[in-house]
Amino acid sequence: MKFIIALFVVALFAWYLSYSATRLDRLHHRVETSWANLDGLLQRRAAIAIEIARSEISDPASAMLLTFAAHQAREASVRDRSQAETGLSGALGILIETATEISGEIEKDLIRELSELTEKIKMAIAMHVDAVTRTQLVRKKAINRIFRLAGTAPEPVTYEFEGDVL
Amino acid sequence: MPLSKKRIGIVCPYGWDTPGGVQSHVRDLAEYLIREGHFVSVLAPAIDDENLPEYVTSAGRPIAIPYNGAVARVLFGPIAFSRVRHWISQGNFDVLHLHEPAIPSISLLACWAAEGPLVGTFHAAAKRQKVTFAVAPFLEPVIEKLNARIAVSEAARETLTEHLDTDAIVVPNGIYASLYRDGTLDSRWTGNTVGFIGRFEEPRKGLSVLIDALPSIIAEIPDIKIFVAGPGESADTVKDMQPSLRSRFTFMGRISEHEKANFLASVGLYIAPNTGGESFGIILAEALAAGASVIASDIPAFDSLLGHGEYGTLFESENSQDLAAKVIELLKNAEGRKAIAERGKVYAQAFDWDVVADKIYDVYQMAMVGGTGVTLSSENRAWNKLLGRQS
Repeated sequence: MKFIIALFVVALFAWYLSYSATRLDRLHHRVETSWANLDGLLQRRAAIAIEIARSEISDPASAMLLTFAAHQAREASVRDRSQAETGLSGALGILIETATEISGEIEKDLIRELSELTEKIKMAIAMHVDAVTRTQLVRKKAINRIFRLAGTAPEPVTYEFEGDVL
Repeated sequence: MPLSKKRIGIVCPYGWDTPGGVQSHVRDLAEYLIREGHFVSVLAPAIDDENLPEYVTSAGRPIAIPYNGAVARVLFGPIAFSRVRHWISQGNFDVLHLHEPAIPSISLLACWAAEGPLVGTFHAAAKRQKVTFAVAPFLEPVIEKLNARIAVSEAARETLTEHLDTDAIVVPNGIYASLYRDGTLDSRWTGNTVGFIGRFEEPRKGLSVLIDALPSIIAEIPDIKIFVAGPGESADTVKDMQPSLRSRFTFMGRISEHEKANFLASVGLYIAPNTGGESFGIILAEALAAGASVIASDIPAFDSLLGHGEYGTLFESENSQDLAAKVIELLKNAEGRKAIAERGKVYAQAFDWDVVADKIYDVYQMAMVGGTGVTLSSENRAWNKLLGRQS
């Protein structure tokens, strides 16, 4: 009898371990997906920023600032990424605030595309931040730490995009 | 919207044949997406399997349970679960959109059973409740599978953050703003009038709050008239009323969409005195789109829809005296009323389906990054194999 109970407990524990591992795996996958999504949108924004720098909207000084910020954002490592992107947001913000009259179809299209992208980036950030915090929370649970259920998956990096995307 | 057509599965937790905000939202969204060229399948509980639209699959008969102070027609149980699983495995969906996955119904079952791009929409806005904290440890592993969460209002988003400790993107419920944009004035309803639309017999719609406020309003505005549109037995509602009050009421029964637009454009004030149980307040969005000046109780959903009073006047819920004072103030100030209504009309364009459905589709796209479709959850798959069930 005792043996059966012991067997049952072990089986239950094994199930719980496999369940926790699946859960963590799924969360890591969610972080990867949401990051891929955010990264794609940010890359597109950097590309638009460079186009804006080359367009009629920018004066030479802001063109330089913008190009610099855009390249920095593209080349930043994951950990420095949010700071670099905030820099690009700032550079774009200054330009759009000070640009008095935007004429020309290409320029208007660029600005429209940028504002649509900004909306999407806001959503993507919210999705990614949520995935990251949730994953970090679950990784911290004792059972996951003791049995190293996260395996070799890297700890997700918190993204400090302070909601100031323009 | 993009050219690529997607296979979209939507799960509605409440009985399809019962009227309700979530059901209408799901119906309008599904039909909008179908018109855009996508393949859409809706899974919902239904009493009558025969007369469902082509895109709806029945998951079985709903069960009426008391939930959150009202009767909810939901569905769960082993049979429903196997139907949900069957629908998911046969659907071959690119994305799955689950409505109210935190209430005990088929959306929760679908969230449990599925894996891949999942989007959840949270409608309910409730005050802090201890019960929800008790079930949170069970809900969290399920809810965390959602790639993206949508809340229909700021109030719903706060509820979600408080109860389940997770954030959401706010996308409101949709209306067909063009239906309401050009309502014409109808002299039957203009003047010192108050309009009300809804199933007035239900206590939570709050018509009694208005009835209690009426004597004080009459003292200041003698020619006040109340028009009530919506299904119900008016005789029961007025039988306890004094004759002097009764004569103020006109019950019109159901009105057509076209009449509704004219009605909303004509009445002096549109009132929503609901005492609770409202998740969004779609009728207020429609009233605003029609250019009505609106007065509503300050329940969370209305407070957030009306921008804390920016686009319509709020009174303290269930407080007839406050309601009377606000109605008198508004009816005496035509200029101020008009100014708010004009702001409201512009603001209400944001609820148009063209805007709302685009936003929802943006969220779908973000969830779909990575390219894998929706499948049955892997842990279930392993166990089903072991138990010899076909997946």
